[in-house]
Amino acid sequence: MMKILNRLPAAIWPRFHRNHDEHLNPYYTFQDYRQTWGMTIFILMMTALVPLVVMTLIYYQLIETSINTESLLRTERLASNARRAVTFFLEERLAALTFTVNEMDYDQLTDPGHLSEVLRNLKLGFGGLTDLSVIADTGTQVTYAGPFNLEGKDYSNQPWFMECQQHNACVSEIFSGYRDVPHIVVAVKSMRPDGRFFVLRATLETERLIQTLSSYNTGEHADIFLVNRNGLLQTPSQFYEGESHHMNIALPAYSDRTRAMMSVDRNGQPILIGYAFIDTAIAPTSFILMVVKQKAGMMKVWLDLRSNINWFLGVSAVIIAIVITLTSTVMVNQIFQADRQKAETMVAAERNCQLASIGQLAAGVAHEINNPLALINETAGYVKDLFTIKQQYKEDPDLIEHVDSIIDAVERCGTITRQLLGFARRFDVQTQPIDLRDMVADVINFHKKEAEYRNIAIHVDIPETIPLIETDRGKLQQIILNLVNNAFQAIDDGCFLDVRAEMVGPEQVRLSIRDNGCGISEDHLNKVFEPFFTTKKEGQGTGLGLSITYGLVQKLHGNITVQSKRGQGTTFVVTLPVQIKKENQS
Amino acid sequence: MKVLLVDDEQKFALMLAKRLELRGIQVEVFFSGEKALDTVEQGSRFDVAILDVKMPGIGGIELKRRLRLLDERMKFVFLTGHGSKIDSTTGALETENYLPKPLQIDVLIETLNRLAKGV
Repeated sequence: MMKILNRLPAAIWPRFHRNHDEHLNPYYTFQDYRQTWGMTIFILMMTALVPLVVMTLIYYQLIETSINTESLLRTERLASNARRAVTFFLEERLAALTFTVNEMDYDQLTDPGHLSEVLRNLKLGFGGLTDLSVIADTGTQVTYAGPFNLEGKDYSNQPWFMECQQHNACVSEIFSGYRDVPHIVVAVKSMRPDGRFFVLRATLETERLIQTLSSYNTGEHADIFLVNRNGLLQTPSQFYEGESHHMNIALPAYSDRTRAMMSVDRNGQPILIGYAFIDTAIAPTSFILMVVKQKAGMMKVWLDLRSNINWFLGVSAVIIAIVITLTSTVMVNQIFQADRQKAETMVAAERNCQLASIGQLAAGVAHEINNPLALINETAGYVKDLFTIKQQYKEDPDLIEHVDSIIDAVERCGTITRQLLGFARRFDVQTQPIDLRDMVADVINFHKKEAEYRNIAIHVDIPETIPLIETDRGKLQQIILNLVNNAFQAIDDGCFLDVRAEMVGPEQVRLSIRDNGCGISEDHLNKVFEPFFTTKKEGQGTGLGLSITYGLVQKLHGNITVQSKRGQGTTFVVTLPVQIKKENQS
Repeated sequence: MKVLLVDDEQKFALMLAKRLELRGIQVEVFFSGEKALDTVEQGSRFDVAILDVKMPGIGGIELKRRLRLLDERMKFVFLTGHGSKIDSTTGALETENYLPKPLQIDVLIETLNRLAKGV
């Protein structure tokens, strides 16, 4: 457990220690492993999480749209049903009054006993009536039947009386009036034989209406009530009962049919409203039936579910993120380790190759030195002979000549040793100005004897216009040596080797090494720079020469290409910058 | 004893010739195989040929083959700048008389004497 905990920080923020081994850098596959790691995590996360989140959001949208549509439909149906009930309640009573005034004349109705009888029958037939009265065209109550004594009261200024005069029937708002009890007045107008009119007025109990409405009520998040056209509450409201008796919603626009819509109340709470303007067939009313549903309450079940889904989604995302991070870390780390191993192998191989070329060089030098040494040997031997055999050394001017010959041969050895020292200096990593002509000449010099013996024509064409190039001496020397070695191995006796250089723009120099040897077959051509690729017999070639050359050219910020045709020869082209930019130097 | 000396290293060949002459050996020096071959073709006869193995043009081994065709009795000594192991790759047979450069003059003289006596 502790082990896992100790390894956790490395998994969350792994360290790719490549900067500590700068010499390995050219052989790494990626420039920045942390960036690769980050990109891997980012891409995997996006691939895994974006579809998940998008699908969830679409699902939420669909569910909410469906809930809203369904709720609006249900609210509208509820409002419609309640409207029909309220309209029927009022219409039924208006119809009863109309029937009464049509059935009985003014004299019968103004008879208090008769009126009381009518009230009793109406109560029996319809219910919900409190009292009944006849009012003359002057507005004065003529006859009254009911629990209150309101005879002689003047109603001429009451709004319902004036409306009744106009429309022949009316339904009042709910008001308290003289009796100080909330009630509704319904009244119908009728003509007397003498041309004057009278009004039959009934007072309705609000209880019946309120009961009718509350029978439609559907739970704690819904409210159903009546308001007048000023928004004043007419029946009790669950949500808006307060001192002002005003509902907390803007009045909806007039419509002759039931409607439902989304809205917000004055506190900014989202609500669903169903409403209907109530008009009876006999008289218009000022009532608006309101059904209000609080969206928050209505959506609660869904919101709870959504919160659970969100939790599930969040936890899943965290698990996915952890798995992706751990997997990416392990994978990128393994790539990094593999690359590092490869780079170390390449560097080791490069070192081995350097050692091998030094061995080869030493053998070449030994051979080169042998001839002057043989000459020294013979000349010194001859001088000794002069002393021991001829006995005439003092007078012999020949002696000086032979001593000079010894000195000359020693000088030849010295030249070769100096070349060897110059060659050994390739381990330096600093850049310095280098004359390409000298360097090619140096390298060719090591192969001069072999070329002579094998009758290989070496043609070097490096114009004097090629400037000194600022680069790493040892590495460039090894590049040229490797390519020339390669060419010598590829060509038969009597072939030629062509080394030429030219400028490519002012910044780059192109060195091509061409031979007319066996060439490289097309399917091998794109593999020649791969490590351990060789066409030689086992044990004869490591397959690293060209691969290392490629690495060295990269190190010098150049590039190397190869063109070849089987049986016609091969050309290696190395392009190098005239000056390696300091900041890029690794 | 008449010796044919062929080596492309001119100063070396001349110096060796002088030393052999000091020891009473008659030497004719050539700097290339072709010239030596011409001379033998024209009728010159030598007891022993001292040949450098590696030379531009006709090398020592090839020169020996051609000289043998002209003069069956001629004996051969090879000189080379390489070590003995490397020399086996140049085609010199181990049974041949082979001397590495720089030479030990006594060994050369001894070899020449041995060959001249036909041992």
